[in-house]
Amino acid sequence: MTRDQVLQELTGRFSEAILALWDVSPKRVYVDIDPAALVGVSTLLFRELGARFCTASGVDTRSAVEILYHYILEPINLMVSVRVSLDRKAPLVDSLTGLFAAADFIEREIHELLGVNFRGHETPRRLLLPEQWPDDVQPLRRDYAEWDPNAVRDRGVR
Amino acid sequence: MSFRLNALLRSPWLFHLSTGSCNNCDIEVLDCLTPRFDVERFGMVLTGSIKHADVLLVTGSCNRQSAERLRRLYEQAPKPCVVVAIGECSLSRGMFVESYNCPVPIDHVVPVDVYIPGCPPKPEAVIAGVVKLMAKVREATKKGRGKAPEEVATA
Repeated sequence: MTRDQVLQELTGRFSEAILALWDVSPKRVYVDIDPAALVGVSTLLFRELGARFCTASGVDTRSAVEILYHYILEPINLMVSVRVSLDRKAPLVDSLTGLFAAADFIEREIHELLGVNFRGHETPRRLLLPEQWPDDVQPLRRDYAEWDPNAVRDRGVR
Repeated sequence: MSFRLNALLRSPWLFHLSTGSCNNCDIEVLDCLTPRFDVERFGMVLTGSIKHADVLLVTGSCNRQSAERLRRLYEQAPKPCVVVAIGECSLSRGMFVESYNCPVPIDHVVPVDVYIPGCPPKPEAVIAGVVKLMAKVREATKKGRGKAPEEVATA
């Protein structure tokens, strides 16, 4: 399957769910989608087109919490980054753990560092942060503020 | 100087702990220990357990998990035990001073006797730091004759 066929498949099948598509280079395509269509788009890429799920990355852009799911189609050397923008107040998106197990750890990491809730995640346990970390504080949010009264934020010199 | 302390200063055994460093300081410490700089000629040997060590070498910026481990290790160390902080991260946390996971520098967790700055410190700097430490302990021992070794080592 060629690059054009992949993009046609994607835009044809999910014409109303795709909010924007940036064809930035021969190797890279960014697709902005409606979060409701995430499982559908991922199923198409992963199951039908044979893409490999590399990882997901999350970022807080002040206006929204964005998650980018990076898929690579190795035979044609094309990286497709599927982007969902979520409400900052209550970020919620469908979990992809039902589709591939590799989503498990990265979703747990995004959950604790950015506070995104994944609907349908089986084991939403803590992954990276220490035990004493409060549940409602997300360190990679833009509005993160120091919560630990014992923290020292100087270098010991005035 | 007591016989025991004199003997200890002639062969201080080291225990090396990385509290979350980038490993560059650790590589410099290994450089010191291996034949090129060869601090073994001063009787310094790396030990596998803190219970055999006289000196605790600490590298890294000490995150929330390793702070607890560092404190426990220091409690297990036979006293007198001197603590050497190696590298900018273990001195002041370097670029991680505002990091959410590095709340305090290591001298808020355990008492530190020698600070060796650098990112990473050269092996020469590490050796100079250790020599200064030995001189400091000798000097403190002269002044603190009759005191317990624990008080002398942290004087």
